[in-house]
Amino acid sequence: MKEAILLDSVTRLYEVGDTVVHALDGISLAIEEKSFTAIVGPSGSGKSTLMALIGCLDVPTSGRILIDGEDTSGMDDDELAYIRNRKIGFVFQHFSLLPKLNALDNVALPLLYRGIGMKERRERAEALLVQVGLKDRIRHRPSELSGGQKQRVAIARALITEPSLILADEPTGALDSNTGREVMDLFHALHSAGHTIVLVTHDRGLASECSRMIALKDGRVDYDAS
Amino acid sequence: MMLRENIHMAFASMAGNKLRTLLSLLGIMIGVASVVTILNLGRSVSESISESFEVGGLDTVNIMPMGNARETMIFTEEFSYDIEREVMGIKEVLPTVSSYNHVRNGQEIVTSIQVQGVTSDYFASNALETEDGVFFSPAENINRRQVCIIGSELAEELFPEGNPVGKYISVFRRQAKSFLVIGVLKERDESLGSSYNNVLFMPYNTYTQRFRRTDQVGTYVVKVEDGYDATAVADDLERYLNQIAGEDYYRIFSPATIKEMSDNVMSTFSLFLAAIAAISLVVGGIGIMNIMLVSVVERTGEIGIRKALGATPKQIRSQFLVESVTLSISGGLIGLVIGTLLSLAAVRIAGWTLYISIGAVIVSLSFSLMIGMFFGWYPAAKAARLEPMEALQRD
Repeated sequence: MKEAILLDSVTRLYEVGDTVVHALDGISLAIEEKSFTAIVGPSGSGKSTLMALIGCLDVPTSGRILIDGEDTSGMDDDELAYIRNRKIGFVFQHFSLLPKLNALDNVALPLLYRGIGMKERRERAEALLVQVGLKDRIRHRPSELSGGQKQRVAIARALITEPSLILADEPTGALDSNTGREVMDLFHALHSAGHTIVLVTHDRGLASECSRMIALKDGRVDYDAS
Repeated sequence: MMLRENIHMAFASMAGNKLRTLLSLLGIMIGVASVVTILNLGRSVSESISESFEVGGLDTVNIMPMGNARETMIFTEEFSYDIEREVMGIKEVLPTVSSYNHVRNGQEIVTSIQVQGVTSDYFASNALETEDGVFFSPAENINRRQVCIIGSELAEELFPEGNPVGKYISVFRRQAKSFLVIGVLKERDESLGSSYNNVLFMPYNTYTQRFRRTDQVGTYVVKVEDGYDATAVADDLERYLNQIAGEDYYRIFSPATIKEMSDNVMSTFSLFLAAIAAISLVVGGIGIMNIMLVSVVERTGEIGIRKALGATPKQIRSQFLVESVTLSISGGLIGLVIGTLLSLAAVRIAGWTLYISIGAVIVSLSFSLMIGMFFGWYPAAKAARLEPMEALQRD
């Protein structure tokens, strides 16, 4: 199977004052297309750094990262923005919706940066909101939505660009267990529909539902189980 | 396409902080309002001055031989034809003579009235009309008839009971001479301190041969041909006269030249004031920069989200740049309205007519645009440079 992500001895160092922190220390791994992978680890294990690198929000100190076969090393800010826009769909713990936009325009936002016209943006966003079960909430602003609804809007926004990869960072972390369950069910449904999903979480219960679990510890892969 | 969304976002963010937006725009509003007011008032003043010049005749150049010209003996009636022939752009040259004399009708005496001897063309050339009676004919000029046309005010003073036409009045020069009033002028606005309402006209030949013997013309009233610039014709006349008579032997006076001078003074003066007012525009720009810097810090999270979703640094920069330009142009437009209302009020009080200076509108709006660009650049660049991961973590 083809790899959605390939990491080749990726290291990320941070300099904090005089000390150098090895957030990631020479990680190599491959994540296959159409897989549902969990990345787990306690705080400080490097999973947030890994998520940032996979999501092209950050660049490694050394090593190579290939997204959908494209080598991102040496890319400038514009090229990285392009990769984020085309290949990655983010779902964040705190939803990260823009409060002044309604659900429809929040979902449509990534297409704005692709230069797609308003009419097409809104049509595509509306179809996705219907798909995630928010047909009646299209014109609502985030403040008028429940936590679960907000996360559905965020998932619809991640899907709108038809990305190679959905990168979810603690997507249930801010939700109660029932709505968290619903969101997880939605991810399972998306997985079944053929999406590649990477779930970053500290919750091993959720991680065990995934087809593969990668545990990080001190910036290294502690274990990797399918 | 991006621009429309950016403007939309800018207004949304302005609407979200109405008071703050208004306060930050105060500087640019005051700046634009003062520039617009000053330029509008400057324009209105110079227009009202030129209106008074136009009454006096912007197509007229007056040449006044000076006393010493007797020696040269060239400023005769015939010299009118020389002027007309030698200088381009002249429609006609009207010789006139004048003096100040007493005028009497029975018991009514009016002192120091300007008595002018003119040719019969003079009236039409100066767009004079009679209220009552007629002007004299060329024949009456040639025959040196003792007839006169008087101004409206003079008519009232000499004939309080009315109907001066057909009556005789005495004009004093050493001894009284009797003149038949054949016309009364229509009342006309004063211009440059001279008025047609207090004047007495008689035929040129009557004046020079019967009233006060002289061979010298008092003033040549030169009428400029349509399509010629009166100031340029005045310059040509000067050149010609300097060559013929020398500059000490005449004075030249044209409303157009004076208007040009006064226009120059006015526009320099109002530009100077506007430049001072423009300093407040710079202060206004700093206000905008300040609010944009605050906005970038406040919206770091938003910037992070937008970057995560694929916004390039350039796209983020244009968003904030469009926002600051939208701010500054809104401030400029409000200032424009305030400035226009202020100048309207000032003009009402002073009794002039308001002339909107198009230059002021263009200058203030393009200045606002430039200020938005200039002072918005740094905050926008700052937003564009934010690291997406850091920005997201501050959400």
